[in-house]
Amino acid sequence: MKNWLITLVVGLCTCVAAFCAFYAMNSEPALHRAALEKDAMAWLRAEFHLDEAQLVAIKKQHDSYGVVCGQHCVAIIAAKGRAAPAAEIAALEKTCVEAMTGHFRQVATLMPPGEGERYLATVLPRIKDHGHEGVPNLRATP
Amino acid sequence: MNLPEAPDSLSRILDAWRVAPPRSPRFRAGVWARIETLRKAPAWSDYARAHAGLVATVLAVSVLAGALTGRERARARVTTEKARLADSYVEAMDARFMRMP
Repeated sequence: MKNWLITLVVGLCTCVAAFCAFYAMNSEPALHRAALEKDAMAWLRAEFHLDEAQLVAIKKQHDSYGVVCGQHCVAIIAAKGRAAPAAEIAALEKTCVEAMTGHFRQVATLMPPGEGERYLATVLPRIKDHGHEGVPNLRATP
Repeated sequence: MNLPEAPDSLSRILDAWRVAPPRSPRFRAGVWARIETLRKAPAWSDYARAHAGLVATVLAVSVLAGALTGRERARARVTTEKARLADSYVEAMDARFMRMP
């Protein structure tokens, strides 16, 4: 009876050890760090295997797009604020989507071969999935 | 309280009763032998060797269960975090989601 209990305890310990080992082997520490710090650029770097030069180039691209994005943001908010016709808001949102898509395509060209396609496959569906009404959040800058 | 007096016959019988167990010359040796047997209970390693099939099965099931659960948990976490980061990355550049402070 005692030995049977020891066998069960040994089995349990083995199970926990196997869990920890396989959890560690299938984890992505860089991704977990990025998620913890809510750092999308760190995720981009880890996920698409960017080197320092590529990351700098992409950051630069993001910064210049930030200006364009801000202009779109102001235009859309202003149009919604003055209760502009739906067609006008839709046109502004279409412009925003096109600009964003163009920006993402440019970013993809800065990535290593193969990663750009994967990046586009990740981000483009997320643009299309967004509703034109938007979701409430408190973010005011890109 | 007064107890009823035992009948004389019972008293006599009890008085005359003697227990005379047969002497066993090996009694002491037998007791020590049993003590030694208990003291030398097989170690788990001996038990494991004697029940190798059972122990191997328990270990194999444990490794398999732990490995599969660990892998699935890690993958689920990775998938969730990737999706969340990708969402926030795209939303951060989407003017349609922006609000004035």
